[in-house]
Amino acid sequence: MSDSTPRTDGGTETGTGKAPAAGRRLVGGAAVGRWLFRAGVGAVFAFLLAPIAVVVATSFAETGSLTFPPKGLSLQWYGEFLGSSRWRRAALNSLIAAGGTTVLATVAGTTAALGVSDLGGSREAAVLGLAVLPLLVPGVVLGSSLLVFLGEFDLQQTYTAVVAAHSLWATPLAFSVVRAALSRFDPRLREAALDLGASPFRAFFEVVAPNIRSGLFAAALIAFVVSLQEFIMTLFVSGPDTRTVPVLAWNSLRGSLDPLVSVVSTLLVAAVVVAVAVGAAVAGLERLATDT
Amino acid sequence: MSDADAVEEGRPSRPALPSPPAVTRTRLLLAPLVLFDLLAFVVPMGYLLRVSLSERSTGQALVRGTWSVDGYRFLLESSLLRRVFVFTVLFAVVATLLAVGLGTAYAYAAWRASGAVRTVLLAGIVMSMFTTLVVKLFAALVVFSPSGVVNDALVASGLVGTPLRLINNKIGLVIGQLYVVLPYMVLSVYSVLTSLDEHLVEAANDLGATPARAAREVVLPHAVPGMAVGGVIAFAWSAGAFAAPALLGSASELTVAVEVQNRLTSFEYPVAAALSVVLTVVVLVVLAAGLYGLRRRGGGNDV
Repeated sequence: MSDSTPRTDGGTETGTGKAPAAGRRLVGGAAVGRWLFRAGVGAVFAFLLAPIAVVVATSFAETGSLTFPPKGLSLQWYGEFLGSSRWRRAALNSLIAAGGTTVLATVAGTTAALGVSDLGGSREAAVLGLAVLPLLVPGVVLGSSLLVFLGEFDLQQTYTAVVAAHSLWATPLAFSVVRAALSRFDPRLREAALDLGASPFRAFFEVVAPNIRSGLFAAALIAFVVSLQEFIMTLFVSGPDTRTVPVLAWNSLRGSLDPLVSVVSTLLVAAVVVAVAVGAAVAGLERLATDT
Repeated sequence: MSDADAVEEGRPSRPALPSPPAVTRTRLLLAPLVLFDLLAFVVPMGYLLRVSLSERSTGQALVRGTWSVDGYRFLLESSLLRRVFVFTVLFAVVATLLAVGLGTAYAYAAWRASGAVRTVLLAGIVMSMFTTLVVKLFAALVVFSPSGVVNDALVASGLVGTPLRLINNKIGLVIGQLYVVLPYMVLSVYSVLTSLDEHLVEAANDLGATPARAAREVVLPHAVPGMAVGGVIAFAWSAGAFAAPALLGSASELTVAVEVQNRLTSFEYPVAAALSVVLTVVVLVVLAAGLYGLRRRGGGNDV
């Protein structure tokens, strides 16, 4: 039996069609199980992604009702989106928030990743804990704490509040991505640069940064995407003038199933597809999947 | 900066112990993150704790300078809030168990696959993880609603007579939450599996183990740390679930997070803050217990 079992058993390209009939009968129970397993994984894949495909399709519908498949194709809802000052404002707010978050999270995450390994021991563990902790606190709790606290200084509903909220989640991720990149970097290179007389700044920009370039890029990209998609904290700390696209989409959803939300969803998905594709090209899909 | 530069340039060789300029450098490098986390996280959370200990008042959101445990007493005495807490924890357990099961199977399939199939499975998960929650939940709403794609297909195929209720109830809540936790679950198991030699499975197969037995006895023990980390995170996120319950649940499926927002919008700040504090403590205790268990098992080196 062991001889007739294909080497790629359990993989995706099992040559069961070519297997001898006798062997197939012997492993028949396992083969059924294998196909059931594959069908299950396929179902999970479809469960996660098919709804998004459906939404993208409905954004091109001619009618206002969200039916699938859409009856007739048109770009009229895209025209409506571009003509809406509310949505244009939200798109601008999203870009401002994502830009601010990218800068803050990448700088704070990178500097901390560079400095933390020098601490060692319990102080390093303390900084690591502080850096990661906000990721583990429920978004609603962070959102309400920022709302209540910043309200004392009339800072709620400002861009500062939105960027601070987004950075709470973007910074730990940028931090861990840069730390992972630094772990593959040979610190002796930097020491050599310093010994040769380079200033710490020059050593960073000319020796360290080029070597961890893809990590820095991935960190910035992840910070940008986190900001673009975050909405629970934003729901609490943003106002009519600063609310981002996901918040406006959420508000529209509470009313009815608005075809404009399909358009916005499609644009957000397209932005993420581009970001993931660029990230995969620069840092590799495997690392994008395992470092965050 | 300049004095640090001068000293670093002038030093003859690397000292074995951190010299004063090295300490300065470390402090400067850590300052942005520590300062930011203090200002945007530690102090606001401390303030929230302080608010939770203020007197409740009907006239205003917050009576400053008062001390009282009324907010917490209200949590204990209100049967509604007790029900909300119990429901939230049960919901988080169900969502976590489903996510661990489905996520591990998916991660295993992605790990065993090769070439294009692996790329598609991984890209799908990364895509789903990076897609805005609002979009995922909106999409689920469109697909699973009584007049949605799933029900249309089920009714058309004659499998069911009338559309199934898949949203605005507990099923919808769990469906929605899976979109939140499943991608992270898959990735945390997958990242653990990447360090396992695939030839071990082939060896098990060659020795006569069925694929299912090889997966159970060779791969599963190795996947446990990833499943534990993913499961603990899935529980934390589900216990704090807000979006899925608010959009895909109904009024009878209140979670603690939704109740926090309800109390905030009705300006009951001390009660909202007390709810937040208790929720955070529950989540952090479960996290700490999970990570502690993992470390005792000796597999928690990747946390």
